[in-house]
Amino acid sequence: MTESAKYQNRIELLQGTLDMLILQALQRESTHGYAIAQMIRSRSGEVLTVETGSLYPALHRLERQNWVRSEWKLTESKQRAKYYQLTALGRKQLASNHQRWLQLVRAIGAVMEPEVQQ
Amino acid sequence: MRRPWDRAKEDLSEELEFHLKMAISERVARGEDPAQARTAALRELGNMPLIEDVTRERWGWMWLENLLRDTRYAVRGFRRNPLFTISVLVTLALGIGSTTAVFSVVDRILFRPLPYANADRIVSLGFVHSLERQEFVMGRFYVEWQKEQTAFSALTAQSTGVHNCDLVEDNPAQLGCISFQANFLPLFGISPFLGRNFLPEEDRPNGPRVVMISYGLWKSHYNSDPNILGRMINVDGHFVRIVGVLPKDFQLPTLETADIVTPFALDPAVQQTVNGGFGYPERVFTRLKPGVSVAQAYAQMKPLFNGDLKRFPPSAKNEVHLSIRTLRDKETQDVRPVAWVLFGFVLAVLLMACTNVAGLMMARGAGRQRELAVRSAIGASRGRLIRQALTEALLLSFAGGLAGLALSQALVMVFVRLAPTGIPFISKAHLDLRIAVFAALLSCLCGLIFGLTAALEKPALAALNAKASMSRSRAFLRRTLVTAQLAVSIILLSGAVLLLRSFANIEQENLGMQTDGVLTMKVALPWWRYNTDQKIMDFYLRLESSLKRLPGTFAVGMATSIPPEAGGSQSFRYSDLQVEGKPPVPPGVGGTVTGRSVTPDYFRALNIPIVRGRNFAEQDRTGGEREAILSRLLAARLFPGEDPIGKRFKSDGFQGHAGMIIVGVADNVKNNGLTDQSDPEMYTLRRNVPSDWSGNRLIVVIHSAMPASAIAPWVRSEVVSIDRTVPVEIEPLNQTISRMADRPRFETTLLGFFALTGLMLAVIGLYGLISFITTQRRHEIGVRMALGATRGNILGLIATDGLRMVGVGLVLGLGTALAVSRMLKSLLFQVSAYDPLTYIVVPLLLSLAALIAILIPARAGMRVDPAVTLRAE
Repeated sequence: MTESAKYQNRIELLQGTLDMLILQALQRESTHGYAIAQMIRSRSGEVLTVETGSLYPALHRLERQNWVRSEWKLTESKQRAKYYQLTALGRKQLASNHQRWLQLVRAIGAVMEPEVQQ
Repeated sequence: MRRPWDRAKEDLSEELEFHLKMAISERVARGEDPAQARTAALRELGNMPLIEDVTRERWGWMWLENLLRDTRYAVRGFRRNPLFTISVLVTLALGIGSTTAVFSVVDRILFRPLPYANADRIVSLGFVHSLERQEFVMGRFYVEWQKEQTAFSALTAQSTGVHNCDLVEDNPAQLGCISFQANFLPLFGISPFLGRNFLPEEDRPNGPRVVMISYGLWKSHYNSDPNILGRMINVDGHFVRIVGVLPKDFQLPTLETADIVTPFALDPAVQQTVNGGFGYPERVFTRLKPGVSVAQAYAQMKPLFNGDLKRFPPSAKNEVHLSIRTLRDKETQDVRPVAWVLFGFVLAVLLMACTNVAGLMMARGAGRQRELAVRSAIGASRGRLIRQALTEALLLSFAGGLAGLALSQALVMVFVRLAPTGIPFISKAHLDLRIAVFAALLSCLCGLIFGLTAALEKPALAALNAKASMSRSRAFLRRTLVTAQLAVSIILLSGAVLLLRSFANIEQENLGMQTDGVLTMKVALPWWRYNTDQKIMDFYLRLESSLKRLPGTFAVGMATSIPPEAGGSQSFRYSDLQVEGKPPVPPGVGGTVTGRSVTPDYFRALNIPIVRGRNFAEQDRTGGEREAILSRLLAARLFPGEDPIGKRFKSDGFQGHAGMIIVGVADNVKNNGLTDQSDPEMYTLRRNVPSDWSGNRLIVVIHSAMPASAIAPWVRSEVVSIDRTVPVEIEPLNQTISRMADRPRFETTLLGFFALTGLMLAVIGLYGLISFITTQRRHEIGVRMALGATRGNILGLIATDGLRMVGVGLVLGLGTALAVSRMLKSLLFQVSAYDPLTYIVVPLLLSLAALIAILIPARAGMRVDPAVTLRAE
């Protein structure tokens, strides 16, 4: 498998989830790519690491789908950075993704631990 | 110029750069050493250009950017390597161009359906014999066959040939007329463009006089008048009504062109009585019943035919055969051998073009291994490399294809211009786009496949530091391809040289007569006005005496035909001759004798020597005796070792003759076309007796001291002063003869062109390979020279390599050429298919060309400077 294909596949594997994680990270405020990666990492207790090679293609794709919007701003340390912001469409998408994900978790939980459900 | 995506790309780089900076500063903030932090962050980030690539792909318009960039790279690459580019383009142009052009011509002859419904079920049916190889049926038998045959669903008849007819009106014209039956058009599945077909009641003896006219006549003579139907026109003095206009693409199955068609009006009763009870000959076409093959039809017709044979005179029985063949066979039989040979040549050239493109692409691929390895190492994905190779191949193919199309268009025009009359369909040949696309696709496919293999192979790490090198198997493949090309080129060249030799023989053929300063005039008297032999004789005798009075005229002769044309209808069988006091020749033995009825000056006008006895004299024309002159060949055949002068003979062919006396022997002339074996010939005198002048076509031969261009108007005005409505065709005899050689000239030109194309392709291939090998071995050559090899050694080293391929190619090619040259036999004239000279000249020619192709790159190799190549390492 070529290297390029490796990246592609990883995006593929994470696709739905990664999109949801990114949208969730942008729910409160707009921020740049690095912060998004950090946020996902720290909130997941260092379990989920988003590769740069997945993050930016995903961000650019989300932007193309009009789920996020971007603009260049200065950071607190006065550096130029590209900030991403959730759009109304993105919010709707996040809600539905979240909903689906909850369903999935419940369903998987029911399969894995039926006694808990009863 | 800043493109929109350049801005976006910079943004992306900046975004990633920022990411990197943040990662580093965070690591530094955690207390890492700045340099270490940077390394770690970079490693974590991964392959930056690749990430950029993948990210950019999300934008969706990457493909356009890539395409433009790949194109730019490709063009830059082509410019850096013009030799490669030109070789590929020339190869593609030649391959696609010549293939398409010739295929466009041959296609109609070999593969295109005839313009009739279910044309493969239509057959030509009839008798053939040695003097008439196109099927004909005597009217009596046709009437019987219509009733008794079982193999065909329908039979239809057409008159034997187009005859001249006159359109009499304010704007008179001489036209071609023919007649066919009312069921003729339906059988061929044709309906008139305007109006209607003949009605059954019109296709009867003494029916209403109606005609159909051709689309061409309707358009040119009647300005496409939409109200033409029902108009009365005067044809040969009779008023007839136009009932239909034939379709534009209508074509008679005999490939003749006619302007006016009249109903055939077959009268069964008349057919039983006229022409000795045989009826008039006609051409018969039929449609096979479903499921009946030509062979079955033949078997079913055979008993009927055998019954008919009983009516023939015994002498004719062995001569006449039944013939049934499909229309396509009838129309294309004599051009088919040359069409197949051409087709073979075309395929060979196309294959050579393909192998050439493949070889060149492989060489380029091998030469670029290093470049590919580098690009892959700095992050180019496999997809990108393949796309790049694809773009290059497509670009080349496109350009080559365009050049090829232009070339083929030009070639088709040249072919049609060059083509002699009598090659069916050639005037209809036009650039066939399907074929062009096919040829282009095939050559491009070769390029693509071999161009891609290089890119598809995983770039080896070794290629990064090694010199460009070709894998052993691929080198072997390329050598094999080039050797095969050389072999094929030998085959093509031998074929072309054989034809060239044959053509030279035709040109140098001794005709047995003089052609310089001789003018011929074909006269066709309108038969409806010159309707008695007396009127015809009066016209010609007047013409003869007025032409003789023209200044500068040496002799004026008249004959039904002139050599090297055969005598036509006046030919007869050798066995028809009966010499007084000798046993008759058994029927069917001895072949054909050409007969010509001539005036006394015929021999002087053509300068045919009388080798024995005397020429016809003026007073013979009015005498009671019937004189004849034999050709030397006939005299030797009839009277071996005897003096033929004064001998008498009779002939079946000339019924009612009291017998003829032989007064002289003339030298042989070519009388069976330029290329066929001459027949024995008998000249009879055209006396001043009306029956000797029957038939309304005659050729006048004028031998004059004046140049043809000067005398032609005078000759024409002499005809006009006798009868201004008589159409004549005037032509210098050597022009007529040269036209007869048009066909072999055409074939020779065409095949010669192909052979040269093939040679060129083979040489390009060889040259490309040798120069490639030389470039590859630069380093090795440098080392050898540093170690003391002389330039001569180096030259030898490279040349031996090439010559080995040439040698193997020569042997293989010669062997194959000798094996397949038999196929050319029917096209060759007085040259053996194993002509030694050809098989000496061709290898020499090829070796010479190959030597040049080897020496140029070898010389470049010789000039390698060891100091430079060794340092380049």
